[in-house]
Amino acid sequence: MKRPIKKSTKGCDDPRLDYKDLETLAKYLNPQGEIHARRKTGYCAKCQRQLKQAIKRARHMGLLAFVGQ
Amino acid sequence: MNLYEGMFLLDNNVVREDWTKAKEVATGILEKHGASVTIARRWAERSLAYTIKKVNRGTYMLAYFDADPGSITIIRRDLELNESIMRYLVLKCDAVPEGEQELHDAELSTDFSVPEPPEDHVVDSTGEEDNESNDLDIDVGFDSGLDASPARPKAAAPKAEEKAEDKKEEAPAAEVTESKEETKEAPAAEAAESKEETTEAAASEEA
Repeated sequence: MKRPIKKSTKGCDDPRLDYKDLETLAKYLNPQGEIHARRKTGYCAKCQRQLKQAIKRARHMGLLAFVGQ
Repeated sequence: MNLYEGMFLLDNNVVREDWTKAKEVATGILEKHGASVTIARRWAERSLAYTIKKVNRGTYMLAYFDADPGSITIIRRDLELNESIMRYLVLKCDAVPEGEQELHDAELSTDFSVPEPPEDHVVDSTGEEDNESNDLDIDVGFDSGLDASPARPKAAAPKAEEKAEDKKEEAPAAEVTESKEETKEAPAAEAAESKEETTEAAASEEA
């Protein structure tokens, strides 16, 4: 039987994600450096897009790694 | 005119010579194309997440400037061509964040001095890098709080116990080998002592 995927209960009321806020962004990356899925972050589609954009900007500037160690 | 935020990754070799000159590399390009720079400050000097242009460290400069939307394309092209600027990011923003003006003013004061950027650390043959502290002191490790689910420690606990048991089993074997070594060493030492005694005795007889 397929187990139902647990959804995170964490809300997303205007997280104001910035590519310079590395401490926050690093929380949404797994050890391989991949961005967490929406079901894990608990973000709505709009906030998830903001998160994706911020992480990709930080990666471009050499602040975050594309792949984990 | 729009307000833009610009982040520039500057080469540490240029920064080491003179910070104001390094800053002017970026601000000069902006002003050349009619932008008015309101804030330009040193954001951080830190090690990069990956090697860029064979360099592992760099200085970040943060700027806020008003520019004509049409000039941004030309500014981008000029930034691309400049070799002192390793990476850049130009974004449109609504307003200058709070506290930026104060930080900018602090940099203009006479007390402000830019610390010498440390030498670029060499990557070992094993791929391990020296983890030098940076200005921000932010741990950009990927072990996030979200990863630490409550199920994991429970699953890990039995394994740890098993390992401990294994170690216990291994421990006597290790002791045996150690004792063997001791026994090997002990006769050798005794033999050496006895040899010394015989040589001393021989010397005394000769005398």
